[in-house]
Amino acid sequence: MAHDGTDSVRVHGLNNTWPGRTAPNWTGLPSQSADSSLDADWNDPADRRPLIIRWTGWRLRLLVLCALLGCVATAMLVRALIAAPHIDASWRADSQGRIELAASADPALQPYVGHALLGIAGGDVSVALIDALALQRSPRWVIGDGARARQQLVRDQLTEALAAGHVKLFFADGSQVAVSTVPHGIANLPLIFWLLSAFGLALYMVAAAVLIAHPISRNVIYAVMAVCQSGNLLLIAVEAALEFGLPPHAGRLSMPVHMAFDLITAAAMVNATCLHPRRLPGSGWIAVLGWAVALGLIGSTAVGALPHVWWWTQGAVIMLGLMAIGLLSWSYHIEPHPFAILLRRFGIVTAATWGLLTAALAAADQLQGVPHNIADIGSMIWYVFLGSLLLLIPFLARSQNFMREFALLAAISTVATSLDLLFVAVFGLSQFAALTLSLFVSLGVYTGARHWVLSQTLGSSMLTTERMFEQLYRIAREVEAQPERASTLLSQLLGNLFEPLEVNVVEMRTHKTRVAGDGSSMLVPVPTLGHDTTASRAVMIRFAQRGRRLFSSEDARLTDRIVEQLRRAVHFDMAVEQGRSEERLRLAQDLHDDIGARLLTLMYKAQSPEMEDYVRHTLQDLKTLTRGLAASNHRLSHAAAEWKSDLTHRLSAAHVELKWAFAIDNDILLTVVHWSALTRILRELVSNAIAHAQAQQLEVDFRLENDRIDLTITDDGVGRNPRAWSHGLGLGGVRKRVKQLGGEVEWREVSPHGIRCRVVIRDLSKAR
Amino acid sequence: MPVKVLIVEDNPVARSFLTRVVRESFSDALVITEAGDLETARRQIGPHREGVQAADPFKLILVDLELPDGNGMELLAELGQYPATKIVTTLYSDDDHLFPALQCGADGYLLKEDRFEVLVEELQKIVRGQPPLSPAIARRLLTHFRPAPVGGAAASGPMPLASGFQSSRPVPMGRGAPLDHERLTPRESEVLTYLSKGFTIKEIASLMGIKWFTVNDHIKSIYKKLNVSSRAEAAVLASKQGLV
Repeated sequence: MAHDGTDSVRVHGLNNTWPGRTAPNWTGLPSQSADSSLDADWNDPADRRPLIIRWTGWRLRLLVLCALLGCVATAMLVRALIAAPHIDASWRADSQGRIELAASADPALQPYVGHALLGIAGGDVSVALIDALALQRSPRWVIGDGARARQQLVRDQLTEALAAGHVKLFFADGSQVAVSTVPHGIANLPLIFWLLSAFGLALYMVAAAVLIAHPISRNVIYAVMAVCQSGNLLLIAVEAALEFGLPPHAGRLSMPVHMAFDLITAAAMVNATCLHPRRLPGSGWIAVLGWAVALGLIGSTAVGALPHVWWWTQGAVIMLGLMAIGLLSWSYHIEPHPFAILLRRFGIVTAATWGLLTAALAAADQLQGVPHNIADIGSMIWYVFLGSLLLLIPFLARSQNFMREFALLAAISTVATSLDLLFVAVFGLSQFAALTLSLFVSLGVYTGARHWVLSQTLGSSMLTTERMFEQLYRIAREVEAQPERASTLLSQLLGNLFEPLEVNVVEMRTHKTRVAGDGSSMLVPVPTLGHDTTASRAVMIRFAQRGRRLFSSEDARLTDRIVEQLRRAVHFDMAVEQGRSEERLRLAQDLHDDIGARLLTLMYKAQSPEMEDYVRHTLQDLKTLTRGLAASNHRLSHAAAEWKSDLTHRLSAAHVELKWAFAIDNDILLTVVHWSALTRILRELVSNAIAHAQAQQLEVDFRLENDRIDLTITDDGVGRNPRAWSHGLGLGGVRKRVKQLGGEVEWREVSPHGIRCRVVIRDLSKAR
Repeated sequence: MPVKVLIVEDNPVARSFLTRVVRESFSDALVITEAGDLETARRQIGPHREGVQAADPFKLILVDLELPDGNGMELLAELGQYPATKIVTTLYSDDDHLFPALQCGADGYLLKEDRFEVLVEELQKIVRGQPPLSPAIARRLLTHFRPAPVGGAAASGPMPLASGFQSSRPVPMGRGAPLDHERLTPRESEVLTYLSKGFTIKEIASLMGIKWFTVNDHIKSIYKKLNVSSRAEAAVLASKQGLV
């Protein structure tokens, strides 16, 4: 389907394929799924990008339904949360790893701010809190299996104690405080809960939109990843809202659910890289392997058969992540799609931060109180980072600036996270101090680096702008001279601008520049320049900056503006040229009509044949002059045909036989100067032979070899001793014109009688 | 009965010169009528349309192209069916000026700056049916009769693979298949090609292995086809514009 209308034409002299690769034959072959989907994209304009599909009918209804479902689920979650029993106080871990009262609105508790909590008793349950484990947000990030079981036990007891309505708090200084629990209340939900759940919802909506817009396998995989991460974020939000963990039945599920989300995301990532940006050989088996690892681990955890679950999960995720990175490298090696490089960069950052987080947690496991900070904050930041990457992917090819800013921001937040972890783990700073310090440092880095990066990119593009303008006007002139080369020249311009790996001219009608193939390709319509009416062509460039960059909609707009500028420049040049030639034509017409008519009258009234001939020659020179003015250039073979016909005409009238020999190795275009000079040289020499030599035969031999004209005119007349000739107007004119062309002329006697005149013009093209 | 000749020329000196040329060219008794502009010429010719033969028509008409009240081509176009040898006399030797004149039905052209003897000889040749044909005009004729090129794609840019998709495209035929009078025979094209390269009739005859007269017949036939085809074209144009 797609390939009937897209015969691609490789442009000569351009880098059609990437260097060092011997098999560029995948271009345009229908067997390649990536290519055919690309072409399908182009052939069906309603179907180009998932997110500019018309959102009407069933799509819109489905999307609204998804949004409603998400909102209702969140609302129910909030409702359940605000009903949960709660002590009106906030807690934190102190430096010895105990739970410390951070703040409270309850007047009974306020004197104890800064005191460590040792136990809680409520109903008939009393819980001893020997460390801050109970405070740790999620069992997912508790390393040891034993510690996790203990945390679960403590939380079960705490929930039971809180459920009684009245609790007694035992502080480290021995004092006891009795307080009543209150429902959580909507106002007491922390800000982080709202932020995280909003973010989770957004991610879920994007996943739904992508899936509904274009329900194909790779979008399904994307949706799976996005929904898993959305679930992770929502779960984190809920856990962050409840200080002492989820209710027992949900708390027990927290670890396996988190883990399942992580593993499914990782396996889906492997599966996605098998399919996108191109389907890899053996992709099915690789995907199955990924899913088998993930599902096997989830299954064995669910039945409780797996010891050291945390280590297994971390290890499996990082293994799958590295696998995805390897697959992307492989994919890039097969086809240099910039998307692969971009995804690989994201993958490396994500995997590296994951590894860092794991290492930091493992290292800090021994320290008192520290792991819970790293586990809470580090993991939360990591999930937010991954979520925003996922959120970004569908929009990657849309905006270069947006992406640049995001990339910077992501890099800086990674730095901030790492610094925070480092400060906490190694220097033992308190959580707040570490966070503040790392935020300050990273903001400083961000401000500085952003300026530097932007000035860097702007500076380089300013340079290319200058070069581009130069090229634009050069091309405009060339196009004006040869309109049929417009597409080739435009390809060159685009090639220099974007440094693509492939530039092809395709037969396709398009009105505006389009980005296709997820930003790997751009289709630029060849404007109708000059009088060329073939508007149905386009230049397809693929893999910008040698396959390292995606085309964005800004690139398309820039290209449109460049093409428009080119069109204007050509039109302007053409208008100037047209004005010039009209002016010349008018001048020629006036000269011809006025002076010509007068000379004709003069010729008819001439008293003597000499005078008549003189005026005739003047008239002919005038005609040559005006014709030279009117026409811009003459093809050598055409000019020669006219010379021959003209000479035949004149010589036969004078009863002289003409022997004409004409041999050229290149049928060049003579400029006006060349044409009129050669015409007049030839005419003058022949006139001379007719008038003075009384010849029977005239031999004209015209040769053009290696840019050198060799013209010999030999008569068999009575002329002798050419050195003694007085060079009147005629022969003087010949000398002058030959010199004007940078050539030489000489006359020589030939035996038995006659004169040979030889004109040699070397380096004809230089004399232009 | 004397032969009637009409000379349309605004320059009196040139007019008397041409009169001398005509008198020198023919031994018959001549009645030469001179006209300085188109209006006088039309008056002299009188009504001649609807196939009604004037009692005593002009046998030879010389028309200058640049006249005070218009272009000689207008007169030539009006005299489409007039049974005279029509010759353009002009200073313009380029095909841009001469080709339209030939399309309007001129049987030949004379360049006014030529010598007296040359003009006499050329005039005799035209009347005998040996019209001149310069290389530039031959080139114009070749492109005129050549079928329209297939789009612009054939000419644009280096395209080694071009043949693949060109063959799949229908050839745009605006006017349908060309009629007989719009087509040259292979021989006529050959003659034209040689002429466009500056060969003389004699050289063409020996190159093609045919008689001098045969070459000349081809040239005459090309002249006729040019006139017929341009008249047919004009008719098609006129009917399209609702003039007929």
